[in-house]
Amino acid sequence: MGDRILLVEDDEPLGSQILGHLRGAGFDAVWWREGRLLVAGELPDVSLVVLDLMLPGTYGLDMLKALRAFSEVPVLILSARNDTLDKVRALKLGADDYMTKPFWPEELIERVRARLRRPTLQKEPSVVEVGPLRIDLQGHAVQVRGRPVELTRVEFGLLAALARRPQEAVTRQWLVDHVLDPEREGTERTLDVHVSRLRRKLGPAKCVETVWGVGYRLVPGEDA
Amino acid sequence: MKLRLRLALTAVAVTVPTAFALVQVEHSVRRRTTDEVIAGSTLAQMQSGGRERCESAPDTWMVRTRSPRPPWEREGGGPGPDGVGGPPPGAPSPGGPPPGTGSEMGSETGARGPGNDGPPQRGARDQGPFGRRMPPVQLFPFDGQFVSRNAQAPALDDDLREGVRASGVGVRRYSKEDGALVQDLLLRMPWEGGPCEYVLARRVEPADSPEVGLPPLSIWGVPTLILLSAMVVALGPVVQRLRRLTEEVRASSGSHYRQPVTVRGHDEIAELARAFQEAREEIQAQMAHQEAREQTLRDFLANTTHDVMTPLTVLQGHLAAMQQRLRTGDALEPDLMNSAMGEAHYMASLVHNLGAAARLEAGAPQVQHAPVDLNALVSRVLGRHQPIARPRRIALESGVPATPTWVMGDETLLEQAVSNVVLNGIRHGREDGHVAVVLETTRQQTFHLRVIDDGPGIPEEERSRLLERRFRGNAARTRAPQGQGLGLHIVNNVVELHGWTLTLAPSEYGGLEVGFTGPLMTPTD
Repeated sequence: MGDRILLVEDDEPLGSQILGHLRGAGFDAVWWREGRLLVAGELPDVSLVVLDLMLPGTYGLDMLKALRAFSEVPVLILSARNDTLDKVRALKLGADDYMTKPFWPEELIERVRARLRRPTLQKEPSVVEVGPLRIDLQGHAVQVRGRPVELTRVEFGLLAALARRPQEAVTRQWLVDHVLDPEREGTERTLDVHVSRLRRKLGPAKCVETVWGVGYRLVPGEDA
Repeated sequence: MKLRLRLALTAVAVTVPTAFALVQVEHSVRRRTTDEVIAGSTLAQMQSGGRERCESAPDTWMVRTRSPRPPWEREGGGPGPDGVGGPPPGAPSPGGPPPGTGSEMGSETGARGPGNDGPPQRGARDQGPFGRRMPPVQLFPFDGQFVSRNAQAPALDDDLREGVRASGVGVRRYSKEDGALVQDLLLRMPWEGGPCEYVLARRVEPADSPEVGLPPLSIWGVPTLILLSAMVVALGPVVQRLRRLTEEVRASSGSHYRQPVTVRGHDEIAELARAFQEAREEIQAQMAHQEAREQTLRDFLANTTHDVMTPLTVLQGHLAAMQQRLRTGDALEPDLMNSAMGEAHYMASLVHNLGAAARLEAGAPQVQHAPVDLNALVSRVLGRHQPIARPRRIALESGVPATPTWVMGDETLLEQAVSNVVLNGIRHGREDGHVAVVLETTRQQTFHLRVIDDGPGIPEEERSRLLERRFRGNAARTRAPQGQGLGLHIVNNVVELHGWTLTLAPSEYGGLEVGFTGPLMTPTD
């Protein structure tokens, strides 16, 4: 069973729907049908709280405020009101994220996952492993399936830039500005040339993916 | 109260006290002058023989003399410089006429005959056409103890005694029952002792004398009347114009302030008319503004209803079709499902857009400025549309800087703007197409956010039309052929509100590229 999540939602159909989707996504979900002004010790052991702002009895923000007095558990706010003031207020009171109704279950699950993932982001690692690739950022060394690969300075810089943000697209312009030698004339065309050379050296793993309209991204690749 | 009546009453209220005060002042001056004249002539008379006659017969001595004319009447024209003829007939004056002309009735003349009394002195000569003679003056002697041997002498009071002790002249005035004014002057003679040490000069002003009451009505009444009439007449046109203005104002307000009032001349009334004219224009402008707003709201509501009802109808149709297939045991078509999801998604976006439009319509106060991380915003927008894009086989991609991109803005509106552009790209995208959001920052502390697609794009003329500021009735219809309507208008308005730049251009992949450019948040923000 995955992380435990507390759902505070007064609407019966919406609540049971969200509960179903959370459980379907592998979370252990607890559902409260009304808000409570919590005091320390009353909060079940959960990794995240999904809190609807419009609750009978207690206003969601009051509950958040009371909760924040003793807990740092991440809180994802649900609201039917798409209002900036509400968002700003909620974030000020310590909410971590905000979702406006209506939303797709997929969107909610994605946001919950992103929120739970967040604290694992640590300081920059010295070695990144993506699929068959092992990139030693400090040692300037790259291995594909344990076999060292010789890269030029620009090629390594390119790979390192992608490796620092694995699975995220890095724009071509950024790569041109930060990786290519500023002394020489760096264009996106030059960048593409370097990328194709890099790909050839990395072999059939296809770890450097072209992101349409954006740039490049490091992925585990279709492992053959 | 009517203007004219008020003016007339005011004029009377001002004129009467003023006239009365002036008359009083005149009386007062005249009395003082009279006092001096009487004192002077009495002294002269006593010094030129009067003393001797008085002291020789203090029991009976009294003088009845025609008083000298006051200075303001001298030019009036009697025969002599004093304006006095001889002594009255039948009044022998053994002592010779004193300088201050008069008849003296001493003991030596025997008695005061009736003929010697007042009436002869008030004869025709004295009341000539040119002047008014002062009434006669009677003299009574008093000794050092203010006692008169003459039985006819009037009683003295403290005022007189005090006055004569203090300044040599005691003055007393009082009105008799018949309205006549009595003027007593107690004079100290320039000698000591004797029964005639003090002389009381008494003058009685009859009640009908002009010096007692107001001047005759004919003198002040006529000018006052003329003045009043002149004022009332002069006020006529003013009142007329005011009445006309009143009627025009009433007519104007009755016509929803459409009818103007005439402004003529440059005086205060014209000023009033002009002020009303300005107020009328202001009211009209307000009403027009209100009207326009209401019309916008009505149009908005009508369009909204239509725009929400249409996808809702489509959604219901899809749901009904699904139910039908479930009942008959047929397999659900993915297209049907995707379309149903797309309609629901579109409706959600539409309702958010309507909210945004309402806030934009209300103006700047409704906009909240706070720090916004564009990286997170892009991630949320993509997360929202991913469930719709995936079944349509449209790839949603994004590239953002490694660190948060902070800008100042209204998060809701900005997210809605970016979301609209992305959703447009998805809705109009081809199967296996792409929509990418690229966020970059420059060294000049600006950001550049581009939404690129490889869809059908928008022709040049259509692009410039989309950037026009105002919603235009049906042109803003959200499901118009190109379907860009409300969504892109909101984008345009939001960008304008934030002082950013919006560009629409063909993308290098054949579709549309929408660019947002603006300043990054500075540490001082």
